[in-house]
Amino acid sequence: MPPRRISDVNYMDVDSDSDVSIVDDDDFGGRNKKGKGKATDKKKKDKGKSKAKEQPYAWEASYTRSWDTVQEDEAGSLQTAVADLMARSRRRRLLAPSGAIRRTIIRHLILILDLSSSMLDRDMRPNRFDLTLEYAREFIVEWFDQNPLGQIGVVGMRSGLGERLGEMSGSPQDVLKSISERHKIEPAGEPSLQNAIEMARSSMSHLPTHSSRELLIIYGSLTTVDPGNIHETLASCIKDKIRVSIVSLAAEMKICREFSDKTGGQFGVAMNEGHYKDLLFELIPPPFLRSTTTTTSSSTKQTTSIPADLMLMGFPTRLPPTSAPALCVCHSALKSEGFLCPRCGAKVCDVPTDCDICGLMIVSSPHLARSYHHLFPVKGYIAVTTLQDSPPPSQNCHACARPFPPPITSTISEGMSPLSRYKCPDCNNDFCTECDVFVHEVVHCCPGCGK
Amino acid sequence: MDTASHLSVILDLSPTQWHLSSLPSNTHPLSVASFLSQLLAFLNSHVAIKHENSLAVFGALPGKSVMLYASTETGSESTELADSNTYLPFKLVDATVVERIMDELDALGDPEEEEPIALVGALTKSLCYINRVMSPSTSSAPGGGTSEDQTTLTDPRILILSVSPDLSTSYIPIMNSIFSAQKLKVTIDVCKVYGEDTVFLQQAAHLTGGSYIYLERRDALLQYLIMSNLPPPPLRLLLSVPTQDKIDFRAACFCHKNIIDVGFVCSVCLSIFCQPIPVCSTCRTKFPMKTLRRLNEAMPPGARNPAGTPSRATPAPTASGRGTPAPGGPGRGAPVPSGSGRGTPTPGGPGRGGSNGSSRPPGGSSITAGLANNLR
Repeated sequence: MPPRRISDVNYMDVDSDSDVSIVDDDDFGGRNKKGKGKATDKKKKDKGKSKAKEQPYAWEASYTRSWDTVQEDEAGSLQTAVADLMARSRRRRLLAPSGAIRRTIIRHLILILDLSSSMLDRDMRPNRFDLTLEYAREFIVEWFDQNPLGQIGVVGMRSGLGERLGEMSGSPQDVLKSISERHKIEPAGEPSLQNAIEMARSSMSHLPTHSSRELLIIYGSLTTVDPGNIHETLASCIKDKIRVSIVSLAAEMKICREFSDKTGGQFGVAMNEGHYKDLLFELIPPPFLRSTTTTTSSSTKQTTSIPADLMLMGFPTRLPPTSAPALCVCHSALKSEGFLCPRCGAKVCDVPTDCDICGLMIVSSPHLARSYHHLFPVKGYIAVTTLQDSPPPSQNCHACARPFPPPITSTISEGMSPLSRYKCPDCNNDFCTECDVFVHEVVHCCPGCGK
Repeated sequence: MDTASHLSVILDLSPTQWHLSSLPSNTHPLSVASFLSQLLAFLNSHVAIKHENSLAVFGALPGKSVMLYASTETGSESTELADSNTYLPFKLVDATVVERIMDELDALGDPEEEEPIALVGALTKSLCYINRVMSPSTSSAPGGGTSEDQTTLTDPRILILSVSPDLSTSYIPIMNSIFSAQKLKVTIDVCKVYGEDTVFLQQAAHLTGGSYIYLERRDALLQYLIMSNLPPPPLRLLLSVPTQDKIDFRAACFCHKNIIDVGFVCSVCLSIFCQPIPVCSTCRTKFPMKTLRRLNEAMPPGARNPAGTPSRATPAPTASGRGTPAPGGPGRGAPVPSGSGRGTPTPGGPGRGGSNGSSRPPGGSSITAGLANNLR
């Protein structure tokens, strides 16, 4: 959404009306002269831009204008165009990550929130801070959903200091609680990247080698106030194999880019609310294990490939709330609900935990199973382009039993099937577009071959 | 309670298990015919309870899963079934379901060895169907004419009527289906009509907030179904639906597909193994010798079964026992309680007829034909 640039420039004088005034200038008369002038200026400029197809700024070059790609079909409806656009973007996302199955599944993440006064900017609605809190909550929930054995800690950057908002914890409730009280984390002052990263780094130093250490920094400011040389912090992050990912809300800063590039993280500048969310949520799936691809020298390569271990784990039996109450070993409280350690039969209140009696790590197997679809992904379906080679084409989708739509005659992009049919390479069944995406994104199991 | 609800029923139609179920040696023998007549009464009552209620029936057959009936799909041939003495929707459901089941059973043929039941296929199909019907599709399939039921479909739930034992090869697909059901907010109810408790379906019901019912009086199937599975999930909060007793959170190991309660887990990919192995078969990670030695000492193969936990096969840690990862590996695993019959498994071999603990009747064809005849 390029209008952000406009609203950035004049958001002081035309706050929320700037969008409206672009659309219908007449309503505003002389009341909002400055805004109107700007708006019409911008209109002209836009027109000229689209005609001449020139790119006045370098940063605009990478920006695809989504409205240009939408075209009406013969009937003048946008329906097919929109559907096509959605299907294409979904399929692109689908095809991107394939191959490597070595991912870091036991993750440790510290979420560093910018709590400086720049977070009160209103360029994202309602403002950067509230939006960040909202997205952070969704992020945490989704993150724990996909990384059930991970832990998250929260650190804030405010008034030149790093503030520990929440200790490393494996329960989403604890983490959410640390950012739930808005009045306690009201933005103020300048941020200090170095202080916050050092604080996060010190709290990760004790972690076992087979888990990942990651920092996610949400950065709204364009400056950082550091007590020392931040490049030393960067060097120590590289040494400790901490992966730093940064989502900037304002613009690209060299130090941020350097941090994420050199530590193997991701860096992105949010263009609008939706893009902001996309950038955050891209960081949810477990990252690939970087064993050989890193730029480290061969001497350290051997140390990076080792951090794996075989762990002994127990899968407990859950007692129903109606069972006879008994004392639990963790709190010595009389409870009827609980889990029984499979090795010693002790009763614990919650999983995952270590058994207090025999020390066995007790996890519920659904926790582990949540990550298995990363290990055994469904094979990508092949887009069917012609019905000639398959003798009797089925009339209905194999999964949802709906009839296939008639062939699309208009624009067909690469990777899309004109017949809306996608074939599983293993069981040779045809699936419709919806089921294709649903199978690969949600179910992770082919209905035809059951794998 | 004014909203309509959707019910997907998954029927486990394993000829072998139904044959065993109808043997008079059971305390309450239940044949397919009487099962179906009770089931149809239940389906009719679901249709009757609200006009907008929708229904889909899936069948899990050996090696194959089919959609038997869907209330949104039919409607063309409804007129020829018209009969002044029956309510047409009932007639439609009954006729379609019975006819399709007979067709499928007839088409089964006589395989030497019965293939495992395609429960996963049926489950994923019903999820795809619910997903498709729930979310107004972007490229709405013309000819379906389903615009009106897209808006009304709420509270979707799946009822699994299971007779087969756990199929431990399908552990991962079943878990994946459970998580997608959670995402879609679909409740999975399980009614175990015949056989031992299944660990995976117990977990399915528990994780999706459904109820798991083990039939004690199998001749009273209809009673169970109506009392606990007819009311939609929001209404069940007000009723006292039978709760699950214990839930087993055991998992199947990746190497031999045994169901285990203490296992070895790779820290990189969280694969579960039933014995210490030097290299992870899933992600090819090498484990340090130090850990292996420690774990081997901590768990001598003989003393693996303390404190009265249900016993299971402890495969001898042979060199050939590792490797051979999941897909398409040894077929039917042994069911939980009788699993001790499996000694050293043969990795890579067909291994389909793992000792099932129960006498397998000879020849698949006669059973299939018998079932179909039963229905006629």
